Amino acid sequence: MIHKTGQAQVSMQSNARPGERCDETKIGIDVGGTFTDFVLTRAGADPVIFKSLSTPADPSIAVVNGLRDIAASMRPALSLEEFARTIDTIVHGTTVTTNATLTGTGAKSALLTTQGVRDALEMRRGIREEQYNNRYTNVAPLVPRYLRVGVAGRIDRNGQEAQALDLEEVRQAIALFKREGVLAVSICFMNSFANAQHEQAAAELVRRELPGAYLSVSSSVLPSIRFYERVSTTALNSYVGPKLNHYLDQLVSRLKDIGFSKLLLIMQSNGGVISPQLAREKAALTLLSGPAGGPVAGLFYVRVHGQNKCITTDMGGTSFEASVAVDSPLVKNDGEIARHKIALPMLDIHTIGAGGGSIGWLDQGGMLRMGPHSAGADPGPACYGKGGRLPATTDANVVLGYLDPGFFAGGKMRLDMAAARAAIDEHIARPMGLTIEEAAAGMYRVACNNMAQGVREVTIKRGFDPREFPYIPAGGAGPIHSCLICNELEIPLQIVPRESSVLCAFGMLLSELKHDFVRTFVARLDAVDWSRLGAMIDDMLLDGARQLEQEQIAPAQRSHEVRLDCRYLKQYHEVSVAVPQQLIQAHDAGAIAQTFHAEHNRLYGYSLAQENTAIEIINVRVQAVGLTDKPSYRKQPWAGTGSDHALKSQRSVYIPESKAFADVNVFDGHKLAYGNRVQGPALIEQETTAIFVSASFDCVVDALGSFALFQKGRVDLVASCMKEELSI
Amino acid sequence: MSKIDPILLSVYARSFKAITDEMSISMAQTTRSPILCEAKDYVTGLYDADGNMLEQTENLPILAFSLAPVCKYIKEFFGDELYPGDVIFHNDVFSLGNQNNDVAAFKPIFLDGELVAWTAVKGHQADIGGNVAGGYNPNAVEVWQEALRIPPVKVVERGKLRKDVWGLIFANVRLDIVQHDMKAEMGACTVGERRMLELLKKYGRPSFELHKQALFQATRKMMEAEIAKIPPGQYAGEGYVYYDGRHPGSKFTIRVDITVGEKSIKFDYTRTDAQTNGFVNGTFTSSASATILTLLQMVNPDIPHNEGMVQPIEIIIPEGTILNAAYPKATTFGNHLCPPNADAIQRALAPVMPERVTAGWNNLLASLTTGIDPRSNEKYVDIGFMGLKGGSGAMKGTDGYDHIGMIDASGGVLDQDYEMFEQQTPHTLIKHELLVDSAGAGQWRGGLGVETIFRIGSPDTQLVTFGDGDFEPAFGLFGGKDAGLNFIRLTYPDGTTVVPRNKDLITGVPLGTLYHQVASGGGGYGDPLLRDRALLAQEVRDGVITPEAAARDYGL
Repeated sequence: MIHKTGQAQVSMQSNARPGERCDETKIGIDVGGTFTDFVLTRAGADPVIFKSLSTPADPSIAVVNGLRDIAASMRPALSLEEFARTIDTIVHGTTVTTNATLTGTGAKSALLTTQGVRDALEMRRGIREEQYNNRYTNVAPLVPRYLRVGVAGRIDRNGQEAQALDLEEVRQAIALFKREGVLAVSICFMNSFANAQHEQAAAELVRRELPGAYLSVSSSVLPSIRFYERVSTTALNSYVGPKLNHYLDQLVSRLKDIGFSKLLLIMQSNGGVISPQLAREKAALTLLSGPAGGPVAGLFYVRVHGQNKCITTDMGGTSFEASVAVDSPLVKNDGEIARHKIALPMLDIHTIGAGGGSIGWLDQGGMLRMGPHSAGADPGPACYGKGGRLPATTDANVVLGYLDPGFFAGGKMRLDMAAARAAIDEHIARPMGLTIEEAAAGMYRVACNNMAQGVREVTIKRGFDPREFPYIPAGGAGPIHSCLICNELEIPLQIVPRESSVLCAFGMLLSELKHDFVRTFVARLDAVDWSRLGAMIDDMLLDGARQLEQEQIAPAQRSHEVRLDCRYLKQYHEVSVAVPQQLIQAHDAGAIAQTFHAEHNRLYGYSLAQENTAIEIINVRVQAVGLTDKPSYRKQPWAGTGSDHALKSQRSVYIPESKAFADVNVFDGHKLAYGNRVQGPALIEQETTAIFVSASFDCVVDALGSFALFQKGRVDLVASCMKEELSI
Repeated sequence: MSKIDPILLSVYARSFKAITDEMSISMAQTTRSPILCEAKDYVTGLYDADGNMLEQTENLPILAFSLAPVCKYIKEFFGDELYPGDVIFHNDVFSLGNQNNDVAAFKPIFLDGELVAWTAVKGHQADIGGNVAGGYNPNAVEVWQEALRIPPVKVVERGKLRKDVWGLIFANVRLDIVQHDMKAEMGACTVGERRMLELLKKYGRPSFELHKQALFQATRKMMEAEIAKIPPGQYAGEGYVYYDGRHPGSKFTIRVDITVGEKSIKFDYTRTDAQTNGFVNGTFTSSASATILTLLQMVNPDIPHNEGMVQPIEIIIPEGTILNAAYPKATTFGNHLCPPNADAIQRALAPVMPERVTAGWNNLLASLTTGIDPRSNEKYVDIGFMGLKGGSGAMKGTDGYDHIGMIDASGGVLDQDYEMFEQQTPHTLIKHELLVDSAGAGQWRGGLGVETIFRIGSPDTQLVTFGDGDFEPAFGLFGGKDAGLNFIRLTYPDGTTVVPRNKDLITGVPLGTLYHQVASGGGGYGDPLLRDRALLAQEVRDGVITPEAAARDYGL
């Protein structure tokens, strides 16, 4: 019986709905700082991974270069044009908007706002993030002050017009924007969440008199309460809009040139995809486009183990990203990018400065620290031999034996062990009075501790117990560190997908079309005007349906979710809870309250259900979802438990549990298949990633070919991969 | 088990910080008073069994350095009557509290029946009894006119709420939300306790105790290294306090004598003026916190905040001075003696560490409105955080920070959101912008101040003002210019203008009154004629400096 359950879970992985075609050729493309990642899925074939060097000046060049490489690798080889014609869907994640924001190179834009509050964007509520650091300066505003214009006109807190909009002042402002040659205009007026008429009137004028400008209107971008959040989000949209449009022009034209004419979708920060047209209008939706594919992919790989939740992490050269998914990836509405608030729903992905390039150093007290400074890709860690002299995480990995200097990136790059040792010796070992190996072990341990704290941010601090979550370590270096991170957090199960080095690109292929809507609706739950609430929701559902219509999603492929942001009366922060629409239709305030109490308790360890404390609604949210076709994924055939056929060699590596070096088996990961088992400690090497199975873990390959690392003895966690035992 | 594992040491340090940060997030998300959840006027901390500071998250540093002394006091007070599951409240300024409204919750942590550590949270509560809602009573001369005194009192014993004690306390507090916000403090202590126990169970108590000592030593070394950068010697400085709330024209001087040794630094306030017969008096812990936080801004900002950090610092503040009032004087204004105290220290050290000091910061001038919100017929209390945040002083190489607010918070206390302000109070915001020409001129200019205007939306409103900066502007350094003065002005619907004193209580403010406040800028540093011309041109274009001021002050 258990056996059957296991099988059913595996076969679910096709994600096929009855009668649906799942044999499209789809490509997920994730443009990163150094590499552009590709994942190709086709009917009846396993996913194929490619990487091409990124071309930051025009990232679409790398996209075409990669497609050309893939075409050439097909059997039989195809020309770029022949191959392009076979592609049904391209899903694309881009860092164009992220980079423009991080480097301060967005468009010259202007802000039209209410008289008396034009500095909100720059004042940022008066925060200085580093309180004791008098050299810490404010971030440059997204719109310089001379292009921020306040105009007369006022909507009051209830949405009533208190003073008419002065259209003459609006005209004068537009004339200034014209003279100054701005590329984008934002409009954000006080209390527009309650009444958008003034913003619409001003927008009308801007469209007429400045037709070429990119326009962002706060009541369209984010019609919810909190002025600073709204003006910041709207200004970000204008700041990145022109750049994204320019990039999409380039991309679409290049793809057209090579003969691709089917569906192009853009990854957005909320973990869903969107048509290029909508991305152009709401460019700020793509600020987290790159990493947003990861959590969806993580969920895909854990389902084969009967799980519906996971922690997905991605360790790159300079940063480590962690996020949690329960049924679907977790979303937050109060994000930040480069110290600017962005209040659009985005995946709750926590980023810390820890990666392969993070530099080890000693503080004034002589204590070892890792990062956040990074050697980056150039010069990179000392072992790259490109002139880097400072010891980085990767250098420690070389000294500890986790990385084979002769087999880095599948042997395409040689690592310089002597340089790694010298850097660690000079900067860490000698000053601390340790051997080079001890110092490297210390660097490894502190780096892992930093990453474990990053995982705590998205689990414990959100009310989740990390021990209940399978852990997905993505990124080339992720699976070298994951055992120690999991020991730190007592996580007993890790799943390392074959595609772990390009996980985000793969996740893009699994994402649905998602459109978020929000309106502010302030009311006590025990005194709701249900018909007004219902009408507001219907209105947003209609907007959603319209967008999905444009994207040619049939009604049968649509779904939606309604959420209410609630809080106890007089609390300041809201908790967002999903509410079945029937409860609203039935005016069931009691059941909605129950849902809220439970969520508050989960997040903050208490609820005020006993006290019968009044609850108020602040915002209403609707997410409209259009289901996309998913790639099929073949279950691997059972290959037995043995793994000797994949044994490559033995190597001395550092075992953190015993704090000593020992010889361990090194396996060729490409030769390991479903059911094969490897006992820890061991190393499993693949072309784009190495996995260190520490002394407290064993490994078994699951039905999707992923490496499932489970705490020794906990075979119950990987029951579906233990076919023989189960059939006894 | 006697060898320090240098790597584990880093792990401990990082973990302590993670614990107090997590407690801080819990507070931000669950409290109701905007003073706590929006302005973040609270601190969270972790202490060892003896009350030594392991780590703190200090949104408002002035509250921060009184927790460890109180923790020690509480331990001694209860002796062997501390049990797992206890929670103790404390605010009493005559047993080391810093301000009556800053009410702390302490939770002893036990492992295998032994007291091993403490978590604590202290936040500025919206009300704590006394004569005036919100606590600031400029007419007070004794502590009982200011607040309910809470010496160490157990509100929870062995996990059981003492509802009699709870009832007694909150029967003396005006607002219900204070109960809920104290529950949030207790919740945050529990969050910290859980994490601390996980850590202790993992590594064992002997390892913790050993590495804790090593951590203190390492931190102490860092602090000593910073002090060693200051030329040894004796330095003196003064800061000025204007008006005690009762005697118009009164002025008081804070005098500090700083002795810098090779590895230690001493702040002696013996020559400071005597206490006032009003509420403008400090407590030892609030004054010492002011000293420490000012020093911390002159050293490496990465130094961990634990016992080792404070060990090389000696602070002498005789009882009976304005910085350390004797029982039973009123003291609610004490936290706000931080700016003039900081001024005295900056002035003293400027000649010998010109690269680390700042010019004067804008001094706090604040107000608190209370009344009945006509929409709900319920009482509201609002500290106008929006209006009170002026600019910081410039330092060599760096302009002051605009709209950062008082030095005791250094940008940790935030503006209210404008639209939430209009939802939560009956007032209507008319203007809240950077104040043109408010920065002290200099090669590096001071931070800009702000101007705030709102229309009061409740009838018969009560306004309390508390602060300073309306007599003496933030001072410039090394040729840098002074900034402007603070003010608060009320314009009644009939045209009458009322300018409250800087510590005042105005009742019967009519509906529709215009409230107008300026929190001015910080002082400038260095000769204004040397300021970068391109930067100056940009500032003129941006309109933060008028062409006239640029010509007058900068010769542009």
